[in-house]
Amino acid sequence: MGSHAHYREAHPLVFVITHWINLICMVMLAFSGFYIHFPFFSAGFMGVARGMHFVAMYVILINLVFRIVAAFFVKTANQLETREVDTDIKNWLPQAENKHQLVETLKYYLFFRKEGVISGKYGSLQKIAYLATVPLTFIQAYTGFAIYAPFADASFLAAGTTLVGGPMNMRIIHYFGMWVFILFTMVHAYLANIYNFAPSKIIFLWKETLPEGKH
Amino acid sequence: MAHEGHNALHDLLAVRGVTRRDFLKYCGSIAAALGLSETMAPQIAAALEGAPKLLPTLWLNGGSCSGCTESIAQVDSPDVATIVLDYLSTNYFETIMAAAGEQAEKQLSDTIAAGGYLVIYEGSVMTGQDGNTLLVAGKKGTEILSEAAAGAAAVIAVGSCAVDGGWVYGYPNPAEATGVQAWLNHEGITTPVVNLPSCPVNPEWIVAMVVQLLLVAGGDVATFVEKTEWLTRSYTDRKYGAVDLLMPKGIFGQSIHDNCPRRGHFENGEFVTEFGSKEEAMGYCLYKMGCKGPQTFTNCPIVRWNRRTSWCVEAGSPCIGCGGLNWVDNNAPFFHRLSDMQMGDALGNVQPGTVGAVVGGVAAAALVAHGLGMKAAGRVGDGPPMEEMKAYDRKRLAKKGGDK
Repeated sequence: MGSHAHYREAHPLVFVITHWINLICMVMLAFSGFYIHFPFFSAGFMGVARGMHFVAMYVILINLVFRIVAAFFVKTANQLETREVDTDIKNWLPQAENKHQLVETLKYYLFFRKEGVISGKYGSLQKIAYLATVPLTFIQAYTGFAIYAPFADASFLAAGTTLVGGPMNMRIIHYFGMWVFILFTMVHAYLANIYNFAPSKIIFLWKETLPEGKH
Repeated sequence: MAHEGHNALHDLLAVRGVTRRDFLKYCGSIAAALGLSETMAPQIAAALEGAPKLLPTLWLNGGSCSGCTESIAQVDSPDVATIVLDYLSTNYFETIMAAAGEQAEKQLSDTIAAGGYLVIYEGSVMTGQDGNTLLVAGKKGTEILSEAAAGAAAVIAVGSCAVDGGWVYGYPNPAEATGVQAWLNHEGITTPVVNLPSCPVNPEWIVAMVVQLLLVAGGDVATFVEKTEWLTRSYTDRKYGAVDLLMPKGIFGQSIHDNCPRRGHFENGEFVTEFGSKEEAMGYCLYKMGCKGPQTFTNCPIVRWNRRTSWCVEAGSPCIGCGGLNWVDNNAPFFHRLSDMQMGDALGNVQPGTVGAVVGGVAAAALVAHGLGMKAAGRVGDGPPMEEMKAYDRKRLAKKGGDK
């Protein structure tokens, strides 16, 4: 929290790249998805929109699987302002630094306390939000494949379509799933950059922000 | 009406002035509907001509508008479909039979007593008020269906109403309408039910099923059920729970969208945005006008309607999804891309897009307000002063201190 140092060990290059891929795919998926939902301009774009949607979808799924596997092999920092690294999966699991801090974090963001809260590299709220994107991505993939004709008849998908009451409802769920991602992205971009742009510098440009006085 | 032997159909066709060439052409289109090669036309013709005797059939009307009857009975010229359907010896057909009163009801009870007949059921099964929402000849419609179905070789549920209650089942469904399969499950009757949804039913589909029964199965229902390629569509009836529906895959296996003659315009991003526009005149895609073709699975674009003349989308209307299940609730409003979400009496019906935009807008406004708050609290830039110790630990320590 605040203007602390941001070292490359927090986000090694491989995760800077996977983050870029996620961002690009999300933008492509949301844009093409909105177009497929309701074509808001007529410029021979539907075929392109669908193609874009499918390509971005496969890329983001492969990227997610890669990211999950990499979490067990790549070493990253799991504390703030340190070059000390450990296996990345530690960042996905509960940490001692975050214990008893969830309510305090909420209080902080709702202006019920003044001081920032102690946390690991990711605070408790942050960790929950990031972790939630994993099942959410798979839900989007599931609901998306369920309304995609070549796959819709597969029993694993058809059972879900029956459960929600037909393909129209599945479409609406897929549509709302996108809104959840839009909300996540809004909050994520906001909270990451509210103090300063050092977090963006490291995750997009891989540029470190050193503590004052050090070079 | 005992047309025994080999020439029965031939005579029927001759009487109606249908040439053999017309008949074979028709058999070709039936082959297409069944997912067979058109080269199967002669075999289909032979099956129809060679069937030993007419199949006794009862056409029962439940809670129906008689639209399905209209669909098969509206002929202004000798129509092969009608003639082939004449091939079913329809012993009881409320809307168009000549017999009336006791005589008609006797036909019904005699046929049921004789057994080995086919039931074609049109309209919803009206179960409301203990079945008293539909009475025929002083008898509950539900009882008539149960009796007829129990002794039948098979039931063909024609039209959406017979399949799952159709539009009669649409919320709030005061007549407690349901479909044939749901009702028979409830009654414990295991007679096979073939489901042909859409509003109304396409007569070609009934003919296709009759041909399949005669051609592939030699009139034996067990073989017919075994040999036909089915797909099972499941739904949950609000009153009777989970129901599995048997539908012929050749007819209901592909989406309207995938076979639509306007599909090219869809891929090109050429859409009608307004009725009466230039785009409409150019036959552009009706997707933005609420076409439900992408989530409706029938072969309407291939078989078409009114003796293969045209069909809804070709005639200029977006598909309203009548071949789907619970189709009114799932597809209304018909001219919107997505169906409304029914949010109860307080909120009414809301479009998903509206919900998304409102939630997104509120979230954006909340973030802006929060950002202003963060600035006012002096947290922006260097961040807030950090705590030295977690609140939890501070409290625990204070408590410990107090104990001493």
